[in-house]
Amino acid sequence: MKTKGLSTFASLRAGVVALVATALVITPLAVAHAADAPTFGKACTTEGVSTGQSTSSLICQTGSNGKLTWQRVRLGSTNAKPVAASSAPDGTIEFHHWRPEDKVVLQGIIDKFETANPGTHINQVIMSSVDYTNLAYAKISVNKKAAVFVTSRGGQFNQFYAGGLLADLSNQRFMKQNVIASALTPGTVNGKVYGLPYQSLFNNPLYNAELFAKQGWKVPTTWTQTLAFCKTAKAAGFIPFAWPGATRGNAGQIINSFLMNSAPDLATLTDRITAIDTGKADLLSPWFVEMANKYKAMADAGCFPANPTGYNDTVAPADFASGKAAIYPTGTFGMSTVTKLNPAMSGKMKMMSMITTDAKPLYQGITNNTFILSVNAKSSSTDQKIAAAFISFLAQAENAQAYAVGTSQHVSIINVDYSANIDLLNTSDIMGKKLLLAPRFLFNNVNNVRNPLEDALIAIAGGADVTKTLTDTSKTIKQGLTS
Amino acid sequence: MAFPAFAIYSFLYLYPALSNLLYSTQRWDGVTKPEFIGLKNFIHLLTDDDLFMKVLSNNIRFAIIVVVLQTGFGLLFATFLTENSKTNIFLRTVYFFPTILSSVSVGLIWTFLYDPNYGFINATLKAIGLDKLALNWLGDSKYSLYAVAVTQIWFHTGQMVVIYVAGLQQIPAELYEAAEVDGATRWQQFKNITWPMALPTTAVIVAYTTIQTFRAFDLVYAMTQGGPLNSSDLLVTLVYNTAFVGYKFGYAAAQTIFLVLLVMLVTWLQRRTLRIDYGDKK
Repeated sequence: MKTKGLSTFASLRAGVVALVATALVITPLAVAHAADAPTFGKACTTEGVSTGQSTSSLICQTGSNGKLTWQRVRLGSTNAKPVAASSAPDGTIEFHHWRPEDKVVLQGIIDKFETANPGTHINQVIMSSVDYTNLAYAKISVNKKAAVFVTSRGGQFNQFYAGGLLADLSNQRFMKQNVIASALTPGTVNGKVYGLPYQSLFNNPLYNAELFAKQGWKVPTTWTQTLAFCKTAKAAGFIPFAWPGATRGNAGQIINSFLMNSAPDLATLTDRITAIDTGKADLLSPWFVEMANKYKAMADAGCFPANPTGYNDTVAPADFASGKAAIYPTGTFGMSTVTKLNPAMSGKMKMMSMITTDAKPLYQGITNNTFILSVNAKSSSTDQKIAAAFISFLAQAENAQAYAVGTSQHVSIINVDYSANIDLLNTSDIMGKKLLLAPRFLFNNVNNVRNPLEDALIAIAGGADVTKTLTDTSKTIKQGLTS
Repeated sequence: MAFPAFAIYSFLYLYPALSNLLYSTQRWDGVTKPEFIGLKNFIHLLTDDDLFMKVLSNNIRFAIIVVVLQTGFGLLFATFLTENSKTNIFLRTVYFFPTILSSVSVGLIWTFLYDPNYGFINATLKAIGLDKLALNWLGDSKYSLYAVAVTQIWFHTGQMVVIYVAGLQQIPAELYEAAEVDGATRWQQFKNITWPMALPTTAVIVAYTTIQTFRAFDLVYAMTQGGPLNSSDLLVTLVYNTAFVGYKFGYAAAQTIFLVLLVMLVTWLQRRTLRIDYGDKK
């Protein structure tokens, strides 16, 4: 018994010692963690890093004293808080769109809107995306009841604008206070807002945060660091970038990152792209050659998988999902594929800026949007009010959150809580960075310019000679443009 | 009685064909009003379009490889499967099986087989020590066209086997019996009986396969989308891209007319070369 009592005491003593030791280790860690936690006005280390997309989010920026400090993110066009939805007059309108996959989620929001506005009804009119592309303009232009509708960025939005179908929404307060300002660009013409780009995509590389932590890697933030990371990751037996060079659509996502910091300012970048797109300049322009050489440098540093031009977008997410690859350079839309392949990847993905310069980057990431919500300028004023009220309702954080979680996509609305979807949550901090609307789509001439141009860069990444490839492709582009 | 059929034919075939002829003389994006430009589309096509010439060269090579090998394998397999034994009927079904598959599925399956890093073909080559032959089949412009051609041959050879078997079964057995009595070897029987007697079937198969290779689209689109650097682009994929990605419907119409004329010329040459007499001069 005595022995047993001593043994019990010894166990108790060992337990106490272990507890104290654990406490001694944990306390400084917690203190250190608290010190690292972003606090308004406190020093920070990595410029551009932000904590999210709410009005209380912080971003690490150079302050007036020239030092990096945590500052309030200004997400909206103003610093004012988001406004409530406006009330709608009685009446019935149609909501035209091409998102059958969103029908249920949107109907839930419409039901809520109708409950909040008794006497108001919204009917969804849904077409396939192909039919919508071909027929929406013709149908909506003669249907005044189609008071709210969507358009896709670029050509279709411009077509509706040219046809005078888009009501000016610049003075709607929710546009300034509820919507992330950087997301408004695709719906803006000459400084006036004609539509709300609702669903947001972020065409930046996803990285396996767990793998990075395990390997002790830091996310590269400069061009030199990117190349060094590739060498390190490859030497450790991983594919640094699971870049699907055999699938032009997703292989071309990284050109956005290359373009965003390839010019001193956006106007210059736009001019350069337009010059190539219209045949005024060719791919042997120095800036383009420099960009092509960076593709080659990535290939030489082992950034891409073996045989990159035969590596397709079925294999790439599989390698990323299985942990063989560190980075999957596509965008937020790639997350669902990865988690379908390996549900354990949920919560492990984060989004990085792909910086291709060692100078201070002009932009830190890419954004794009799927559709733009607009009000029909040819509808009656009552119907336009219902439509605007409905868009303002969609711009409420809780409704936008229901849409975001229900469709597994980010939205352009401030204060949305993505915690119901860990992957959306983990990648939402990209919204606080300085983003550029995907410049790849400034190449309007898809068949004669963008496709051959991207094919040339893919070939270069696969080992083709830079000068010969660009010379040959320039000739193809020139001949294509004159046909 | 012939009028309703002619009316349907005119509406569904003649009118679109003649419209295409008209579009080929226009600059038209499919939306705005077409602009008449005479023969400019054809002149540009033949004098200042290296991509078109490259794709034409691709298609001719593709056609030669597929026509020769698909016909050759079809005849070879058919000669062994002419008798209606249970084994032969089973084997004919096996050979024919790929033909009933969806072309997009076939394309995707072969894309997996060809995968340079994980595909069955390279894995097998590496396993037997032929690492040097483990190539980037679809991702290298030197091999992509041939890789697609192999898939096309695999996909359609079974169909040719069935047509050949039907043709070979029409050859009177007495001819072979007489040849055997005379001491003819299997090769001599093939050379002097099977080949000449199968010539009409061969002509049909060659013409059919030629047309098939000049309208090949789905496999190419599913496997390479014409890449890398247009190395596996064929005329129909080019026409598709010109019209529906580039919105140059007039230029695409001119490409289509060139394609039709080319197929007509090739088929006529084949008919002359094989010296087929369909009895239309009797």
